[in-house]
Amino acid sequence: MAKEFEPNIIGFLCNWCSYAGADLAGTSRIKYPPNIKSIRVMCSGRVDTVFILEALRKGADGVLIAGCHPGDCHYQSGNYKTNRRIRLLKKFLNDMGVEPERVRFEYVSASEGQKFAQVVTDFVNQLKKLGPTPLKEIA
Amino acid sequence: MVDLKKLRESTEKIINRDDVKYVIGWEKGTHGFQVTPLFITSSDDVERLIFNPLCVHNLTVFLMLQEKLPLRKGAEEDKRKVGVIVKGCDSRAIVQIIQEKGLNRDDVVIIGIPCTGVIDPKKINKKFPNQTKTVDIDEDANNFVIKIDGKTHKVPKEELLMDKCKQCQFPNPIIYDVLVGSEIKTTGKPNYKDVESFEKKSLKEKWEYWEKQFEKCIRCYACRNVCPMCYCKECMVDQLNPQWIRRSVNVSENTAWNIMRAFHLAGRCIDCGECERVCPAEIPLVKLNKKLEKEVLELFDYRAGLDVDVKPLLSMFKPDDPEEFIL
Repeated sequence: MAKEFEPNIIGFLCNWCSYAGADLAGTSRIKYPPNIKSIRVMCSGRVDTVFILEALRKGADGVLIAGCHPGDCHYQSGNYKTNRRIRLLKKFLNDMGVEPERVRFEYVSASEGQKFAQVVTDFVNQLKKLGPTPLKEIA
Repeated sequence: MVDLKKLRESTEKIINRDDVKYVIGWEKGTHGFQVTPLFITSSDDVERLIFNPLCVHNLTVFLMLQEKLPLRKGAEEDKRKVGVIVKGCDSRAIVQIIQEKGLNRDDVVIIGIPCTGVIDPKKINKKFPNQTKTVDIDEDANNFVIKIDGKTHKVPKEELLMDKCKQCQFPNPIIYDVLVGSEIKTTGKPNYKDVESFEKKSLKEKWEYWEKQFEKCIRCYACRNVCPMCYCKECMVDQLNPQWIRRSVNVSENTAWNIMRAFHLAGRCIDCGECERVCPAEIPLVKLNKKLEKEVLELFDYRAGLDVDVKPLLSMFKPDDPEEFIL
């Protein structure tokens, strides 16, 4: 039997909201797919586009960036700037011929364990349809 | 075209000032249709200065390439200004660098030239191949007048102009201390026809197209070195720890390099077209930059290098920035 494609997801979670949100999902025993590998960053604004590209090249099929809701950023404006950057990157990836859906930016607050699980489940389902990334490094 | 005498006069005036180290301009090259940058350090050099439609180089890059050697004990830093001669597009580079606080406005003296368009070296070398002697070039309203071995060729401008010049919106320098010649009326509009037709392709077609282009890349980094906006002290590709882009030349690394290069210029590229001009592999880099320029204009209504007082695109935000999902 052919094995179903299991996408790899790298998640960059902001320390103040989304990482706590993911933690809440865990402690509340909400079920979500194990495809995501979380990396804690101090702010979603820390996520440079080079990180995203590196992740995609090193075998991730999708990259999730999660930060605080607008206005809630611990550093005032980090998430707004990330929004701009990711918006632009997605447009650009589209022009390069990489599906922009592989990169996803979401607002997940510390109390939204349910939303975090929802986002990850959605994302995994989406990536299963897309298949592996074309950017993958030639070893 | 600019009155050369006037240009030399104003340059001489500036180089004779005590607070100016040198002025950067163009001089006749040694081969064919080449023109080389000229560093004028004294008024004796001024007579070598030229300006003609072959002066494609964006000289602002030299402002950022200034070598700052460590000082000897007790020695004082040379704080004199640097002069630079700019065309319309080049001046936008200076504006953008000042916006990013990479350069202090007081540290440069800018001589502006309203430019009527420059010749694409690749096109002219194709039209007149194997030209070894240097050539005099003049222009009238619609033609370039090229004198080769006593013969005069009149070539319509459309045929030889750089692609960027055909749709130029900013022939007049945006920022300058001295303007040589009178301002030109602009007719150009932002033209993204090329980009738009590319957009219509499917994802797979786009990927295949770029893969083919990036396969050619030899990673000489000429595009980076010539770019006035690439002035980081340590470039991402030179970094060893962490090493984001490996040195091996293969499609994967080439793609990564070209994506990152273009993305680092998002909202910063001023469309001087230098990267494509110097590319030995003839990768259509301007297309990449142009694409991002269009996205930035559409998404954030922002154009690079137009106003010194505006913050750079990616270091500011508006609460009503477009988002693709509803909260």
